[in-house]
Amino acid sequence: MSDLVCVQADDFSLADEYQRLRNINAQVGAVVTFCGLVRDFESSAGEPKSKKLVNYLTLQHYPGMTETLLDDIVMQAKARWDLVAVTVIHRIGNLAPNDQIVFVGVASEHRKAAFDAAQFLMDYLKTKATFWKKLTAEGSEQWLDAKSSDSDAAAKWSEDSHD
Amino acid sequence: MINLLFFGRLGDLAKDAPTCIASLESDATPLGIRQMMKADHPELSKALSEPQVLVSVNKMIVKWDQPLFEGDELAFLPPVTGG
Repeated sequence: MSDLVCVQADDFSLADEYQRLRNINAQVGAVVTFCGLVRDFESSAGEPKSKKLVNYLTLQHYPGMTETLLDDIVMQAKARWDLVAVTVIHRIGNLAPNDQIVFVGVASEHRKAAFDAAQFLMDYLKTKATFWKKLTAEGSEQWLDAKSSDSDAAAKWSEDSHD
Repeated sequence: MINLLFFGRLGDLAKDAPTCIASLESDATPLGIRQMMKADHPELSKALSEPQVLVSVNKMIVKWDQPLFEGDELAFLPPVTGG
């Protein structure tokens, strides 16, 4: 099994994850990696101009269900594009500004499949996987709302014809 | 007995809510359990009634009228915000 799906409190190394994908086999001609970080400012819903200074984010998930959903998203990507291997790592617990929060890496023979699949994986992960973010900013706590732009991005993939 | 799980903002509202239901009626459903909470946990019940809230049984998303059985794990899921 060349795919890796992991939900963990620990940080990850971009270099190590890139090497894993690169070294899977000599068929690999392209590796696309994406890394999501915690921002230091967050706008509250409906008030895009009032930004709050973030102390930390708390990531909660549904153990057991999240892994199943991520496996399913990876399987969908592999059914849609010709991929050699996929890595999805998502962190949980308390994360400070600039911390790494999510990693998606895709290895394929040609670059287009890797670029497209990485975008698909992130769009689906944002709207389908059972994670919830609580923001602690300027001393007060608030659960973040889902963004409609994320749902729109994920919905786009079901409209697109197979490419 | 069935176990109840509340995630995200629902977890904060469910701090005083039961974590399990000991004796299950034969026609129990997630909807029935949500309605049952109305009396003692009105704020939670209202939040559970929001259209974006999904419900899962044994880690699979189901409809609100899904029949529940002994040993089930019932979870209430607000809109996800990962990534």
